[in-house]
Amino acid sequence: MFSELIDEVPSDSSFKFNFSAKDNLCTIDFQTRAGSRILDGYRPPFDATPVSRLRRAGGLLIGKTNMDEFGFGTFCTNSGYGVPRNPFDIERSCGGSSGGAAAAACLLEDHLSLGVSTGGSISCPASFCGVVGLTPTYGRVSRYGLVDYGNSLDKVGILARSSSMIKNHFPTIAGSDPMDPTSCAQPTLDLDDTQIDSIAVPREAMENIHPSVRDSFLRALDIMRDQLSIDIHEVTIPSLRFALPAYYVLATSEASTNLARYCGMRFGVRGDDVTQHFNDYFSSVRSKNFGKEAKRRILLGTYSRMVGFRNRYYLKALSVRQTTISDYARVLKEHDVVATPTMPFIAPRFSEIERMKPIEMYRADFLTVPPNLAGLPHISVPCGYVDSMPTGMQLVSRHWSEGTLLNIANLWEGVFQYRFPGAQQ
Amino acid sequence: MKIGLEVHLQLPTVSKLFCSCSTSGNGPNTSICPTCLGFPGSRPKLNRRALEMTIMISRFLDCRISERSWFSRKTYFYPDLPKNFQITQYESPIGVEGGYSFNGKIVRITRVHLEEDPGKIKRVGKSGEEVSLIDYNRSGIPLVEIVTAPDITSPSEAREFMADLLIELRHLVGLSERDEQTVRVDANISVGEERVEIKNILGLKNLERGLSFEASRQNKMLKAGRRIVRETRNFDEERRVTTPARSKESEEDYGYILEPDLGVYQVSSMAKTVQVPETPLKRAERLSAEYGIDRNSIRQIVLTSSTLTDFLERLCSNMPPEIAVTWVLGPLSSNWKYLERSLNEDLSNRIENTIQMVIRGDITDSEARMRIGAFARGGGAETTQDSKERSSLAELVSECIDQTPQVLFDFNSNKRAANFIIGQIMRETKGKYSSSEIVETVNKEIERRLKDRVII
Repeated sequence: MFSELIDEVPSDSSFKFNFSAKDNLCTIDFQTRAGSRILDGYRPPFDATPVSRLRRAGGLLIGKTNMDEFGFGTFCTNSGYGVPRNPFDIERSCGGSSGGAAAAACLLEDHLSLGVSTGGSISCPASFCGVVGLTPTYGRVSRYGLVDYGNSLDKVGILARSSSMIKNHFPTIAGSDPMDPTSCAQPTLDLDDTQIDSIAVPREAMENIHPSVRDSFLRALDIMRDQLSIDIHEVTIPSLRFALPAYYVLATSEASTNLARYCGMRFGVRGDDVTQHFNDYFSSVRSKNFGKEAKRRILLGTYSRMVGFRNRYYLKALSVRQTTISDYARVLKEHDVVATPTMPFIAPRFSEIERMKPIEMYRADFLTVPPNLAGLPHISVPCGYVDSMPTGMQLVSRHWSEGTLLNIANLWEGVFQYRFPGAQQ
Repeated sequence: MKIGLEVHLQLPTVSKLFCSCSTSGNGPNTSICPTCLGFPGSRPKLNRRALEMTIMISRFLDCRISERSWFSRKTYFYPDLPKNFQITQYESPIGVEGGYSFNGKIVRITRVHLEEDPGKIKRVGKSGEEVSLIDYNRSGIPLVEIVTAPDITSPSEAREFMADLLIELRHLVGLSERDEQTVRVDANISVGEERVEIKNILGLKNLERGLSFEASRQNKMLKAGRRIVRETRNFDEERRVTTPARSKESEEDYGYILEPDLGVYQVSSMAKTVQVPETPLKRAERLSAEYGIDRNSIRQIVLTSSTLTDFLERLCSNMPPEIAVTWVLGPLSSNWKYLERSLNEDLSNRIENTIQMVIRGDITDSEARMRIGAFARGGGAETTQDSKERSSLAELVSECIDQTPQVLFDFNSNKRAANFIIGQIMRETKGKYSSSEIVETVNKEIERRLKDRVII
């Protein structure tokens, strides 16, 4: 679950709380390897802004959590440093890519996990591990010190056992930071309670969902309607179907340029033979140290932005992103949040994952990808249990309205009891 | 013959384009940070001053300024490029479709954009055992790229074009002469159908030499009935030839995507607040048109100094321009180094009056020249001799006084005491200097010594 852990918790109790950071957030005192062999031994010369802000607020960083290499994965099985296991069932996946972060949030009481989402990497593991995961609006939290996957999609968020813990610490990491210009255009964070009247449920999100997961989601909606007096409306958001391919084109295009810098020079691992021509040297270091999924995404991304394909893939994906944003805007004009199941199934067994093709794994993200593509804030909360495994509900709200999400999650926690492994049920 | 240029000019900003590192490092790899080294998690922040300078250059080159502009990633692997992609501009250069009038014609400007410079590679060691060292001080220095249409017709014209353009750009962005080495040019040249690109030419001389070599190489090939292949070549400064660059295995594809960490800039609205100062050659053109001054003369004046040109403008409004030009090109120009130092309204009036006196016929030409010479030396109406002779006269006087110091004591009571020295100098120099000149030098030196109490 941890890729690196503190040796000893300092005995003086000047720290107000403890937290962990996903291994793609730079930290001076721990290696930052982003789950990749190519960054083995890398100690950054600076802290990521969210990390330094939590430290300044009295937080003790206890370790770095394991993840899919550079965030490339849905099951946390693509790490160069072992596979974290689901606290509810060690034969099953934690989800990805912030798998270690979700497992830590689930197992450690009063623990705050910094996670990162590009296309669902907070929601997915939160759902599989039965914790709350908040993914803020794109640009709400500084990305300074975040090892990039897809810069136009990456968001730093928080996973924890309850929405109130997130509410306490989210204002600390949010807010503009001159070191990340994309964080400097945000309005002030407002976490005051607001009235929640109406939830929209897109019809497109109910297809291809495992029946027991769908039933658990529908039961949760019933509770919301009956006990919280929130109206539930079925809507249609056609662009949800196109968000997935658009996301994979954009994310891999950006990733393939971000990963170009890892070549055995300046930082990270070094190659054996520095007398080689630089092309051969770079290739040998990259071939040896990148994992299979990283190589696949570099190839996909490079292909999407090549002359001749750029218009068909990269530029088209940019326009799909705009359509998705306006589709959501239309629905969120009349409704407070959009609700869907988070993942189409419960955490799969490792033996099942081994049999999945890459395209099947990518498809599992079809509900978490759309709000990520649109840069909209979203939260995943546990909403039921199937075969003793948690299921998740994902709620999406308007840009910059993280307050709405924390508010509705808080209301939900008043009518639904979360379970954690080892606790009396 | 068709020649088009891609000019790369480093902008003289205080800090780099995307980080706060200084642009002037003190020794290799001293001005570097996580951002210009491309460390994971670092991010670019745009230097506004660099953007303003690029807008200014674009407007100077009569470009249409893009409404909105953004940056792109150009991906290629090279050891001097820390991120293995360069942040540059692709679809939305700052300026497009401009033109620069030169030699009575207009060289069209295709685009002007802003990008970051990579680091610098140095090869060291014996041949066969060379190693490459990389200095990343240059990584992230702002670079403006100006691309011309193939409107230049000869290597010498390319050189003249670059020389003129540099004069203007240097003035616009405040570049010093020694920064000339920071201008790099890629030149495209075709004699027949197919064009060849010569990469990375440093300096004006090399530009002309490289193009001349390439032109004659292409001509010879055509005469021999051979085909010219489209390729990239390097110019070897020492051997003065172009050689084929290492050929690439496949067509270059940089896979441009948007730079997601930087926003979209509303450049055309920024452009409204950017002032474009009048550049030396534009000023020359204007003065030539306004006062009918001959092009070569006015060019010489503006290139001497901008304050001298200011003075010419002043004179032109009060006297016939051709007279003003004669005086400015003549005695004013040769003494300007000294005159400029103490130039104020009073001195300006005195110089102008002197010229006006010549025009009215009150004094002769040579008298006026002497007066101007004297102004330059900060004195009264002295004669104009060349400085070497003057200093030797002063030295003689000084030696002579050293030998007969009692003259200084006598001088207090009787000014004629100076005559002893004057007589000696006249005998010694045998008419090399005019009597008035000697009298003046001697009196001046005696007075100086008395004032400073330099008796012996």
